[in-house]
Amino acid sequence: MKKHKTALFFISISYIFILGVAGVAAPLMAPYNPTLQHLDDRFQPSSRSHLLGTDNFGRDILSRVIYGSGSTLLVGIVAVSIAVFLGLIVGLVAGLAGRYIDNFLMLLMDSLLSFPTILLAIAVVSFLGYGLLQVMLAIGVIFSPVFARLVRAETLVIKTETYVEASRALGSPIIKTVFKHIIPNLLGKVIVQCSIMFALTVVIEASLSYLGLGSQPPEPSWGLMLKDARNYLVQAPWMAIYPGLALALTVFCFNILGDVLSEGLNPKL
Amino acid sequence: MRRLINLTVCLSITALFLGGITGVGLVEAKILNFALSGNPDTLDPHKTSGTLTFQTLKSVYDTLAEPDMNGKIIPALADRWEVSDDGLTWTFLLKKGVVFHNGDKLTSADAKATFERIMDKKVASPNAKEFAAINNIETPNDHTVVLKLKEPAAPLLATLASGWGAILSNRLIHAGHDFAAKPVGTGPYRLKEWIRDSRIVLEKNEHYWMKGHPKLDKIVMHIITERAVQIQGLISGQIDISYIIAKDDMPVLQSSKDVKIEKSLSALILVMPMNCSNPILKDIRVRQAITHAIDKQKILNIAYGTGEPIATFMDYGNAYYKDFTYLYPYDPKKARELLTEAGISSDKILEVTLPQNYEPHVRAGEMYQAMLAKVGLNVKLKLVDWSTWISDVYRGAKYDLTVIGHTGKLDPDGTLRGYGMKDRYVKWINPRTVELVNKARKVSGFENRKKLYDEALEIMAKEVPFMYLGSPYRNIALRKNVYDFRMTPKLDTLDFRWTTVK
Repeated sequence: MKKHKTALFFISISYIFILGVAGVAAPLMAPYNPTLQHLDDRFQPSSRSHLLGTDNFGRDILSRVIYGSGSTLLVGIVAVSIAVFLGLIVGLVAGLAGRYIDNFLMLLMDSLLSFPTILLAIAVVSFLGYGLLQVMLAIGVIFSPVFARLVRAETLVIKTETYVEASRALGSPIIKTVFKHIIPNLLGKVIVQCSIMFALTVVIEASLSYLGLGSQPPEPSWGLMLKDARNYLVQAPWMAIYPGLALALTVFCFNILGDVLSEGLNPKL
Repeated sequence: MRRLINLTVCLSITALFLGGITGVGLVEAKILNFALSGNPDTLDPHKTSGTLTFQTLKSVYDTLAEPDMNGKIIPALADRWEVSDDGLTWTFLLKKGVVFHNGDKLTSADAKATFERIMDKKVASPNAKEFAAINNIETPNDHTVVLKLKEPAAPLLATLASGWGAILSNRLIHAGHDFAAKPVGTGPYRLKEWIRDSRIVLEKNEHYWMKGHPKLDKIVMHIITERAVQIQGLISGQIDISYIIAKDDMPVLQSSKDVKIEKSLSALILVMPMNCSNPILKDIRVRQAITHAIDKQKILNIAYGTGEPIATFMDYGNAYYKDFTYLYPYDPKKARELLTEAGISSDKILEVTLPQNYEPHVRAGEMYQAMLAKVGLNVKLKLVDWSTWISDVYRGAKYDLTVIGHTGKLDPDGTLRGYGMKDRYVKWINPRTVELVNKARKVSGFENRKKLYDEALEIMAKEVPFMYLGSPYRNIALRKNVYDFRMTPKLDTLDFRWTTVK
């Protein structure tokens, strides 16, 4: 690994770590209640009492950014887990069963992939109803084809490996072979994909909240904060800058992480 | 010498040019650029209830009567009218010498054909029920229209003065003319073109019946949906008038030398309706507590950009408005006591359904939630799109609390009719209110009607099926050289007849 990449990697890891701590320990870290309105302190710029200023209801922006990191990470973890879970099942079944089942499942996955992501997310959320839980489900379902295709492709390769054939020849049941030999061997690629998808999830969650379909007010979510901020761009630019910065950094760090992991976990021979 | 000649030629050419330019300046047409916030759904005044349609058509059509700037109904196409003592025969005398844009003379047959068109089931006018009291229409001569009613109907005059009472040409109605795209009226301007999503162009009607009006030669209504774009247009001078200015745009506009802002009270009734069939909200003490918990002025200032607080179901500027703000003033302590008395603890959850496309209502919703939380009410917000709001909240009454504004009506009957009965979305039952409103419809004379409405409004104020917030101010931003632009009270239509650009 090159030197500057190592540095970036550690910066990214630290940022994500801080984000995680902020998300979990928000009640201890945030100086104020993120939903409490102080109507006499609206549009305060940065000051000692409000480090990042206040918004149109006089809520403390730092506290809202800290609480927002929690919901962002939660959506990321849950949505990606759902996608991995669904993708693993579909990919393994398709890869192992082959023939018609494979064709059918891949056709299904490809048709899901053919929709623009945000459009599909809006459709799913409109169907399920607005809210964070629905957003997690929607993103999970939408991203599952990415994992399904990855898992299927790897499964097709791995199942022809001699150690798999040997294990089958020795009479071990298919389930055991899958858990013992196939899954551990494709995990590396899945993990790399996870980190990239995580970054995308963060963006989609923010977009949906911005459109009013994700987190509901007064929840502190970065997307929602940006949505509120666009009405006051001239008057109170800090309302947009800080949640926007947090969002951009998060996406950047997860991308770096994915980059580095893919180099580390998929060594080129 | 040659040089001198050259110079002379140059000078005379320059002079010619200058003269030419000032000459053009003298005959220059007076054009007004207006920012309209969306497309009208149709230009047929009898087939819609869309505000944008009536805002546009106010310049194209006339009505028999019209509201003046105080909301008082004055003659328009009708010079005067008489109502018989039993209230069943209304006689209108039409102005003479009024012509349609196509040259047809206005006669009583046009008025008759117009009202018959509105009442025609095939036309399916959304406003047909307002004309339901009319039994038949007689035209004893070219300039007299007699409406025979089934029962006295005081609100009918307001209907005739509203945009949906626009008078169409008898000949064109029977020729099956396409009114939805090509309106032909008697109004101050004729429609030149309507390019969807781009512009509506209106041209001066030289034969308008009001002498000396309109003043402008041409109005170009630019269809601009984004508020920020309208404001940029105003500052740069491409737009002369924008009427959807929010309080947050003020600093930018005020810093511009070329823009002025005119503030006027709108006829909107801003409310937080409370579903009285909800087990918690059924208790009047809870509804009173909610009213006590809200700092109305603060919400008006922050969410709606200032307004006047109200405490009953009538807009602040209305002649029928009565002040009840003393009943349940802002008093969080009292609110908490009432909630304890009613036995409401924080494990009871109320949901506020918000129409997410109306940002001021969403902002108000967030403030309501915070204020109600302060007195110990557990309130959650739920954002829905506009069609869901209409079907679930307004039609289905599937909600606990919501935030909305009711548009003003020329006649109080339009505002109050139906409240107290179970089919209105607040699910508030009060036979006395229904009786009073029904009675007031059949009584004529402002004082007589006001007595009845006063009592109805007092009941509504005391029983609080709504948390009444107030009427907001409307801000219109104009270029400094634009004068006398009017918005019709209650109807919020655009009146350019007096408008000038200097």
